[in-house]
Amino acid sequence: MKHRFAKSIPDKVIISIVALIVVTYFLFITIPLLAVFLKIEPDQVSNQIRNAGIIEAIKLSLLTSGAATLIAFVLVIPSAYFMVTRNFPGKTILDTIMDLPIVLPPAVAGVALLYTFAPKGLLGPLFNKLGFIIPGSTIAVVIAETFVASPFLYRSAKVGFESMDRDIINSAKMLSGSRLRVFFTITFPLSIRAIISGTMMTWARAMGEFGATLMFAGNIAGITQTMPLAIYMFLYYEPLAGIMLSIILIIISFSILISVKLLEQRRFGAKK
Amino acid sequence: MIKINSISKSFKEKKVLKNLSLEVKDEEILSLLGPNGCGKTTLLNILSGLTRQDEGDIYIDEILVSGKTDKKSADFKPSDRKVGYVFQTVSLFPHMRAQDNVAYGLKALHLPKQEIKKRTENLLDFVGLHEYAKFYPSQLSGGQKQRIALARSLATEPQVLLLDEPVSAVDPQLRESFRLELKNYLQALKMTVVYVTHNLSEAFIMSDRIAVMGNGHIEQIGDRAEIFDKPSSSYVAKFLGINTLIGKAIKNQDGLVEIEANGILLVACASLDLIGKKVIATLKPDNIFVSKSPKSDFGSKAGNSVEGVITEMAQMRSNAQVTVDAGFLVRTRLPLSSIENESLSIGDRVYVHFSADSLNVFEDNESD
Repeated sequence: MKHRFAKSIPDKVIISIVALIVVTYFLFITIPLLAVFLKIEPDQVSNQIRNAGIIEAIKLSLLTSGAATLIAFVLVIPSAYFMVTRNFPGKTILDTIMDLPIVLPPAVAGVALLYTFAPKGLLGPLFNKLGFIIPGSTIAVVIAETFVASPFLYRSAKVGFESMDRDIINSAKMLSGSRLRVFFTITFPLSIRAIISGTMMTWARAMGEFGATLMFAGNIAGITQTMPLAIYMFLYYEPLAGIMLSIILIIISFSILISVKLLEQRRFGAKK
Repeated sequence: MIKINSISKSFKEKKVLKNLSLEVKDEEILSLLGPNGCGKTTLLNILSGLTRQDEGDIYIDEILVSGKTDKKSADFKPSDRKVGYVFQTVSLFPHMRAQDNVAYGLKALHLPKQEIKKRTENLLDFVGLHEYAKFYPSQLSGGQKQRIALARSLATEPQVLLLDEPVSAVDPQLRESFRLELKNYLQALKMTVVYVTHNLSEAFIMSDRIAVMGNGHIEQIGDRAEIFDKPSSSYVAKFLGINTLIGKAIKNQDGLVEIEANGILLVACASLDLIGKKVIATLKPDNIFVSKSPKSDFGSKAGNSVEGVITEMAQMRSNAQVTVDAGFLVRTRLPLSSIENESLSIGDRVYVHFSADSLNVFEDNESD
């Protein structure tokens, strides 16, 4: 059977249409990013870099996203390993719940955290007794970021552990009686690329966290106002500062993504 | 010495091992031979402690390493069983150099650094890979990797060595030479070795005795001659596969036993006590002749001539392997000259000739 439709259009036209689609898409993503850079003059950059508000937001973002990444790492690595090595009823359900924050709107995460940690929330009274009021504090920012960003590491670490060759692990078990030694000398190093790339994605996501933080922690300069929240506030009365922060976040995100890409291309034994 | 008593193991609903017992003597190389999926690897994993049996117990050098007796129970960790294990896939640690792979078990023993270095070097010497000490696994060939894996498994000075199809990780064209190298290592070691394979000829090359495994237990154990000349069950005969008939001994024919199988009547030199019983007959492949003529000269001996069709011909260096479907599969090697003389080719109607004394006949003691 002849494809009349395809036959009636010359190849050149098809190629041109496809090229147009491809170029449109690339521009659709690149132009908005470029637009941010074009909004600021070089001499304004040096001014803005000394802006106390910006510096404060950067410091807070680095502190909270660093803490969230660290906490995520400690919580996720054993959990992901457990999930990969054990079978139990309801495993798929639990696993799906653990992934949920990736697709959940951050606003929902914010509401969920509020009803958990607010003074009248599920666990709020407990923290009150211990002398903590979580919402509106820097701790709330870290909690929100960990909640939203840790599943990136969870998924990645699981892929790393799952791709382990059973015979390699069994070889190690035959030779070493210590499970911890087998984990730290074999399982962990062999999953390291998946773990590092997951950690970096978690860090990038924590750095960009906005919705859950805004709802759960609020937008208080110096306490809960991370870079994305500062951008939101600055854009109304100090647009240049907002642009400057946006540029910094674009550069950080780009650096993280390109590091992950380079990392994934590296192979064992290539070095001699 | 290994002693396995009545091991059973199920995965989900499937019973993989059923009441399996087996003894491996000191310094013996025993092949576990059986088709894929018959539970060979499961048995190795249970021996090594990587898998726990549902029932039964295991002794290594008279020590109960796993199981329960009236007096005591034990469940040793894999690393405490003094067992070395070489796996089917290349299981070297890819992020470690060859020498660090070999030293892995030694470091777990917390030996002094000098001692670790010395033993690692000795093991690399033993497998002839001293100059590859600093290579990563990705820089080694399949055979070299398995030799490093062997050295690694020997580092902790195990008393028992388990090998699970170690040849299958090697490139097909190098398997033959690797098999011989491995055999030399195993003979030099003088260890108790359990060697898993599904390959009949490999089992014969590598081992002192062969345990044929099937239906979740050991069907037969013995040396090459015992297994080929006297398959203990129709399962073993079927696994040996070719040149095997299952039928019934029907009558005494001038002092020979007449056997009826698949509608074919044959005479065989066998005990007259078998008459009236279900029997298995195996045909020694060395004494089979194939021709287009129904007549054959057996001299003074009584003989059989069976009609069939050539279904397969595979040419080797100086001879060809010919398979004939004569109601049962007959396989033999014929010199190239006789193939030319008879101008044999696939699809030809031929006669298979063999004398009465080239059949081994046994009672079929398998109930099915």
